[in-house]
Amino acid sequence: MKFEWFVASRYLRSRRKQSFISIISIISIGGVALGVATVILVIAVLDGVEHGLKDRFLSNEAHVALHIFDHSFFKGYQERIQRIEAIDNVVAASPVIFAQIGVFREHSNTIQGAIYIKGIDPVLEDKVTGFSTFVMGSTDFQNSELIEKAALMKQGETITGGIILGGRLATRLGVMKGDVLRLLIKLVDPGGLGTLTPDLANFVVIGFYESEMEAYDNNFGFIHIDTAQKLYNQENRVNFIFVRLTDAELAPQIATKIEDAADFSVLEGMPDTRTWMEAQAPLFSALQLEKIATVIIEALIILVASFNIASTLIMTVMEKTKDVGTLRTLGSSRGNIMRIFMIQGSVIGTLGTMIGTALGLALCWLLSTNAERPSYWYALALVVPISLQFLIASRHAMRTKGGWKLAVGTLWLIGIGFALYCAVRPISLVDLGLSQIYQMHHLPIKVNWVFVIFINLLSFAICWLATLYPAWQAANLKPVEALQHE
Amino acid sequence: MLNPSEALIRIVDLHKSYYDGESELPVLRGIDLEIKTSELLAVVGASGVGKSTLLHIMGTLDRPTAGRVLYGDQDVFTLQDTELARFRNKEVGFIFQFHHLLPEFNALENVAMAALITTPNNKAIYEQAASLLEYVGLAERLSHYPGQLSGGERQRVAIARALINNPKIVLADEPTGNLDRRSSEAVHKLLWDLNTKSGQTFVIVTHNSELAEQVDRVVQLVDGKIF
Repeated sequence: MKFEWFVASRYLRSRRKQSFISIISIISIGGVALGVATVILVIAVLDGVEHGLKDRFLSNEAHVALHIFDHSFFKGYQERIQRIEAIDNVVAASPVIFAQIGVFREHSNTIQGAIYIKGIDPVLEDKVTGFSTFVMGSTDFQNSELIEKAALMKQGETITGGIILGGRLATRLGVMKGDVLRLLIKLVDPGGLGTLTPDLANFVVIGFYESEMEAYDNNFGFIHIDTAQKLYNQENRVNFIFVRLTDAELAPQIATKIEDAADFSVLEGMPDTRTWMEAQAPLFSALQLEKIATVIIEALIILVASFNIASTLIMTVMEKTKDVGTLRTLGSSRGNIMRIFMIQGSVIGTLGTMIGTALGLALCWLLSTNAERPSYWYALALVVPISLQFLIASRHAMRTKGGWKLAVGTLWLIGIGFALYCAVRPISLVDLGLSQIYQMHHLPIKVNWVFVIFINLLSFAICWLATLYPAWQAANLKPVEALQHE
Repeated sequence: MLNPSEALIRIVDLHKSYYDGESELPVLRGIDLEIKTSELLAVVGASGVGKSTLLHIMGTLDRPTAGRVLYGDQDVFTLQDTELARFRNKEVGFIFQFHHLLPEFNALENVAMAALITTPNNKAIYEQAASLLEYVGLAERLSHYPGQLSGGERQRVAIARALINNPKIVLADEPTGNLDRRSSEAVHKLLWDLNTKSGQTFVIVTHNSELAEQVDRVVQLVDGKIF
């Protein structure tokens, strides 16, 4: 192969007057590099978004929620939790009363909104959804000072307990810590005359729930499970058991085991489970679809780049037809000729893939690293002279010496690297007004190394395939015709 | 008829036709020719009579329609492509009307090229190439590229290139057809000198009557046959 390398490398460099071709090889390398770099970057962003969303969702969401299909209450949940926690890969399970209620503010007679209420055991809930980490304030539902203070203020009215409100919900309702909320739990008929009146319970706001998850922060209130049981007259009963697993991805398999372990009787009703995936299915399947579409589009980009390689090689073969004839005369075999052009294409493909991988990973790093960066002006101040120098140098490439070229090339690389460092920063979603929706402060980046390797192999393979036809074409030139080619 | 041991090449009933769709254009119609070792043979004839075609087939660059070319006892057209390439590499040197030097390589590399195909990066090869260039009078031009050489110099590089593997036979197709008188004479001198010194066999296709007068034997190609 050494002879083929000798010839191919000279054709790639093409130092004398056909600098045309070497610029073409630069463009081909750039095409592959850009393709590979965008694939790596775009997939890193998509993975980052998916990962970030999953992290967010899973930070305060149970992996599996067990209930009876019509959400009716059931007893014996303590034993059921014991059985569920005995299942492999189950970390913890927590009993929950989950319901929707109406909210009144103090001194107000109109319903201000319907919210979801979760009656929880804070200790058990902590193990399943990390409850306390998201609470600003106390999680002591029963004995908080605030309850006593509120009871003092509202002489004659009983304070049922404390409530932790979603932060945005609290803002919406205009309540502060220590304020009293009246919750409409159900309608009662105290006289037995068929006159329904609302059964209102007073709760004092003891803290706020700040998970940065819109669905929770804007719609949820948390009360103690004992209080909830009393309010609903469901002593020793709950309507949900929330479960956390060692690995969220196992949710579908474990869910059926949980249903079995729950062992509901026919009278209690049909068991049902809802995994976090089902809860977030629309979003994640959309993300998945987007990723598949992106991979296809990006594969097409690399394919386009490989066409670039093929056309570069076909042009080279056309330009070198006479030389091929000469080499055949000197005793090169078809195999020699084929390898010369395949090496040329493979070098373009390999360099392009390597540069693209480096560029893609560098961009990923720059986009995900928060650090004080020099002003954007430095980038501009570097890019302008580098481009000018490049234009001038490409016209006078013949005159420059090898060592000088190397020095200039190194300076270019450092300059471009520094310009990128100045210019490419984490993209702030807050500035773009998107942080509310995505619950992320910066465009998230997550490099999937397996995918990077996959894209590298794919790119090598496509580029290598692109060399086959032109190389075969060169190898099968008839020596005599090639010699006479003008 | 020569004794087989004396004959370097025996061409037996060689036919070559070109095809343009259905129509056949016969160029060589039964050539029989024997060439002795160390012979300096000139092939003359009108343009388009098939002199170059004959030379190409002798040099295994092209395949005949019928007939055989024997180097010793070896019918070269029974060889596979790779073997044939190796044979061409070792045994045959070519000189063309146009120098056909590789423009990306300097004079030294161009001369060394044929040897590098089988043994790359060999220092001895470059030394030999340098001494060949010195022999053809281009000691000062080793690192010059073809574009930096004159027509006569290029042709002398091409001659040096044909000799690098010390081939048994050198095939020259109008070697001075593209040169002025002075350069032509220098090239002719070089060829005679080589022939006497190294004992290599030369087959020269030419129009040049002066050149034809100075060779051992002249064969004339008329109507696809030898006279």
